[in-house]
Amino acid sequence: MATVTERLHVEEPAFVAPGRAQALWIVMRRKPLGAVSALVIAALVATAIFADLLAPYDPLEARPEIRLAAPSAEHPFGTDDIGRDVLSRVIHGARISLWVGLLAVGIGTVAGMLIGLVCGYWEGRLDLALQRVMDALMAIPGLVLALAIVSVLRPNTTNAMLAIAIVIIPGNARIVRGAVLSAKQNRYVEAAQAMGCRHLRILARHILPNVTAPILVIASIWLGNAILIEASLSFLGLGTQPPTPSWGLMLSSTGRAFMEQAPWLAIFPGLAISLAVLGFNLFGDTLRDAWDPRLRGSR
Amino acid sequence: MATHDFLAHPLRHHVNRRQFLTRVGWGGLGATTFVLARGRRVSAQPASPYPDWIPPSPKPPKRGGTLTRASAWDPPVLDPRLTNSVGLFQIASLVSNRLLRYPFADEAANTTDLTLKGDLAESWEGNSDSRMWTFKLRKGVKWHNVAPVNGREFVAADAKYCYEAYAKEGVQAFTFGEIEGMETPDKHTLRVHLKSPNTMFPQNLAEAVTVIFPREVLEEDGDLKKRMVGTGPFILKEHTRKVRAVLARNPDYFDKGRPYVDEYTILSTPDAATRTAAFRTGQSDFHWVASLSDVETILKTTPTAVVEEFKFLQTPFGLALAQDRPPFNDLRVRRAISMAIDRQKQVDTVYEGHGILGWGIPYIYFQDTKPTAAQLGPWWQYRPADAKKLLTEAGHGNGFETTLFYYEYFPQMTSQVQLVQQDLKKNLNINVKITKLDYTTYYGRYAEGKWDGMAWGFKTGYAVSLDEQTYQYMHSKSTKNYFRFADPVVDELVTKLRQTPDRAEQRTITKKIFEREHDQVLRMWMPYDPGFLIWHPYLRNIGALAIRRSDGYGSSTLARLWIDK
Amino acid sequence: MYKYALRRLLLAIPVLLLSSLIVFGLMRVMPGDALTALMAESGNVGERELQKLRAELGLQRPYHEQYLVWLWQMIRLDPGYSIFTNEPIAVALKKAIPVTVELAVLAMILGLAIAIPVGVLSATRQDTASDYVGRVVAVSGLSLPDFWLGTLVITFAAIWFRWMPPIGYASLWDAPWKNLQQFLLPAAVLGYRLSAATMRMTRSTVLEVLREDYVRTAWAKGLGGRLVVYKHALKNALIPVITIVGGQLGTLLAGTVIVETIFALPGMGRLTVEAILFRDYPVVQTNVMLVAGTLVTLNLLVDLTYAWLDPRIHYR
Repeated sequence: MATVTERLHVEEPAFVAPGRAQALWIVMRRKPLGAVSALVIAALVATAIFADLLAPYDPLEARPEIRLAAPSAEHPFGTDDIGRDVLSRVIHGARISLWVGLLAVGIGTVAGMLIGLVCGYWEGRLDLALQRVMDALMAIPGLVLALAIVSVLRPNTTNAMLAIAIVIIPGNARIVRGAVLSAKQNRYVEAAQAMGCRHLRILARHILPNVTAPILVIASIWLGNAILIEASLSFLGLGTQPPTPSWGLMLSSTGRAFMEQAPWLAIFPGLAISLAVLGFNLFGDTLRDAWDPRLRGSR
Repeated sequence: MATHDFLAHPLRHHVNRRQFLTRVGWGGLGATTFVLARGRRVSAQPASPYPDWIPPSPKPPKRGGTLTRASAWDPPVLDPRLTNSVGLFQIASLVSNRLLRYPFADEAANTTDLTLKGDLAESWEGNSDSRMWTFKLRKGVKWHNVAPVNGREFVAADAKYCYEAYAKEGVQAFTFGEIEGMETPDKHTLRVHLKSPNTMFPQNLAEAVTVIFPREVLEEDGDLKKRMVGTGPFILKEHTRKVRAVLARNPDYFDKGRPYVDEYTILSTPDAATRTAAFRTGQSDFHWVASLSDVETILKTTPTAVVEEFKFLQTPFGLALAQDRPPFNDLRVRRAISMAIDRQKQVDTVYEGHGILGWGIPYIYFQDTKPTAAQLGPWWQYRPADAKKLLTEAGHGNGFETTLFYYEYFPQMTSQVQLVQQDLKKNLNINVKITKLDYTTYYGRYAEGKWDGMAWGFKTGYAVSLDEQTYQYMHSKSTKNYFRFADPVVDELVTKLRQTPDRAEQRTITKKIFEREHDQVLRMWMPYDPGFLIWHPYLRNIGALAIRRSDGYGSSTLARLWIDK
Repeated sequence: MYKYALRRLLLAIPVLLLSSLIVFGLMRVMPGDALTALMAESGNVGERELQKLRAELGLQRPYHEQYLVWLWQMIRLDPGYSIFTNEPIAVALKKAIPVTVELAVLAMILGLAIAIPVGVLSATRQDTASDYVGRVVAVSGLSLPDFWLGTLVITFAAIWFRWMPPIGYASLWDAPWKNLQQFLLPAAVLGYRLSAATMRMTRSTVLEVLREDYVRTAWAKGLGGRLVVYKHALKNALIPVITIVGGQLGTLLAGTVIVETIFALPGMGRLTVEAILFRDYPVVQTNVMLVAGTLVTLNLLVDLTYAWLDPRIHYR
């Protein structure tokens, strides 16, 4: 399960950013691992988008007469417990996993960012109160919190996502708040405030750009974690429901149940999970290296 | 987490020699059992290389040694009134006795031998209208030599107290609620008066869930949650939740010289892969396995292991429909759904050809051989076109949306649920949304009986007796009517059945119940394989008995197990 | 500094109160209650019986009253009884806590034992093959779900070596050897996962230190100088590593839920998950508060240590 408590220390103003893409490009050329991770993610996204075209079979179509067939030319990843094509399920699983990741991390990031911005920019009482709420959420172990939330909402993919989003919020809020605080120390922000610029304008023009770098770095790492949490929830029986082809469900249910008779049921979804998590993590590293070498911490 | 021993179970029948002599009405029975068993051997199950019966060892038993098993089940509390859970009865069946019991592995003639034997009772007898039953109890039986009973003698008043407590609240209330009154003419005689005739009452007292507990514990603690004390072959020495239960040999057990092993340790092991590893590494002496190919994988690393298959008598699982409301209250809808499901395909694939199509009442109660597909009736054949026609007649030509919740007792169940979903979609355009639940939520929701749509339901975890299998599960007023049907014909038949002393007539009525159930599609049974018991070769007399898994509700047979090393 | 410490301490109180409200609230809105779960299996318990039991357990009182009663129990350090097993919660915890603490401590130690050497190596040989290999190995720990790694380890140890950790928990004091056999594998599984974060932190801190001018000079001086660097770099790496380790407690506790299930260890993780499934309110609430309290305290300690070690930081 994922690291739930993110601590990130932004000690000095994050840099302001012309040519972020350029910085990324430079780093990637220097660090092949970063480039590879970017490729992995690109492949994952493409797979998710074109799943219908790429998958040789319908991922839900059961043909029990060929159940547990070993990998072959027709079924390169073999077939599962009711004769569905594992390759097609892994391909469609990319869609589920990305959906899981994007929804959970999207909600978690946006909400965390808003809270962090509000807290960091205005400080004061509201900040104090919201920070305590965030601390309180962070004090509850993430998986337990997610389990409880899913139990309340009924187990399915969407609710698992919501639970993960809630788990993500406090860490993100804290990071954004830190970034805002340090951005505020910049002279131009002080100047803008002195000149009486509207808050929204200051936030949008001067603060937000400084916050996006750490947020994107963390979000990319969380994308990987979301996939793992979803898998853990599936293991505990509170995640995605059959027959939806989620990697986590495939690995934790049929993958484990038939791991000796039909190891391909575990190997391929397991590889997919590892590849995706690894990809997002390494890509997060690369983003960090490119955009803010001083931004460190968090795994 | 507690799971039920659905895989295990039920069946039975029988009558012992004494009863055979005293009660003419039951006459045919003992004999029937034998015949039955022979007949059955001929019309064997789908081929399996493993026997369903291993005769007792002819060697003289050796004393000593310890037995260990990695168990999926771990009872949250020890109060037998609070739960049917197999987790509790894997322990209670060894700590406590019942008044009657079924044969153990070393005395049964075959796996389906369900001749009633005395446990705490030596003999029993009913009056002419089967409303009064008299039990002569074994003399010199002592409670365990531990507080609070400290080895005092077991007497008839103990059984009376216990049954009264069961009648008052809990799992057994339905069975014991039919007792009108009890007397104890002397220390070793218990006389029970029933509210209405029940020729099968003694069988109910042999059910695993009717264990006799001492009044002192209930009186001192107010419940039975913390301590388990009995008269049985083993004393519960330790029970640490989520770790182990340790059962130590009771040196004062009334069956002299038994049990043979010094200690039996049940290790709480929730994960299935871990239990398999425990068997392979010798940490667990015996192990239940779900499928033929699972057996083969284990034999690859542990070739000396002995394998026995559980006999197919019934299925405990089926598709339960909310048939007290639309659309499932329409018989045509139920029949259409039943015909749209390809059961044979499930048997051939998910169960690797080793399974039954599914019926609810153990067939040995009404015929000698396993029911054939044809005997299940027209609505149990796979006829998708007819199904569609019937559903259209019922006004659902375009299908409908519904839900199905279940708990995964074993992985094959998840396969089945998804195949049913696909069949219904393909053949009837019924869209089923599946929810897989945790055990507690599932059990609570299912047993409460207020759910909508469908559930992958069960009928009972432990029942062996015919009365339990019919009246107590099928009568519309029963609290265990989980499939929620109310059929006046069934109500009449199951009531008549328990008033019928003659065994042959019982079989006829039971067959009628079976046919009625299938014709009306009251419970939509699904294919099933009771699985295999696998053990290390040094165990003797552990043999698997039909409906009484020795790792579950039938664990009392372990009093006769011995270790040959 | 003292003012800061005091302020942080005072702030911890509302945090814990809020955590308690969140847990209490979540448990009450969960469908089904502990009694239906408890009675589900018996089938024959009437509505009246349930009402009686609810009354005994105080479950029919208004939520705010229940909450206050519970809070008072927490303050008195008397968490009461489990609804499901009737066992005093304190007794259950006394059995479960040592298991989880041992697992967590061992996992931390193993995690650090992997992370720090790999991190240092990776940094000093930046962008070489050993850097990549080290990083990929460490980061792989993040990418394998715990339940999968645990299952693989158990199954293949049994098949290849005819060995698995002995089932049936034995305490460290009663049977140290058996206990260690039981804990080593699960702790390694957890530790492997933890090592990824610590390793990256070590790597980036060491990298930073290596970029300092005086370090470059020392480095250039050869072996003796390099030793200085190792010492210096490690000392500096320690600060953020402490933070990371503090931050990982949450991860660790979540990981124990799964590892305890697979390795059949009777710890807090299993206790809590089972209590959630059984809707055993008092147990869930107490466990979560215990963990929350521990996390808040440890984080406080970490921050204080950090403040003490690195006076450059100022606080808000």
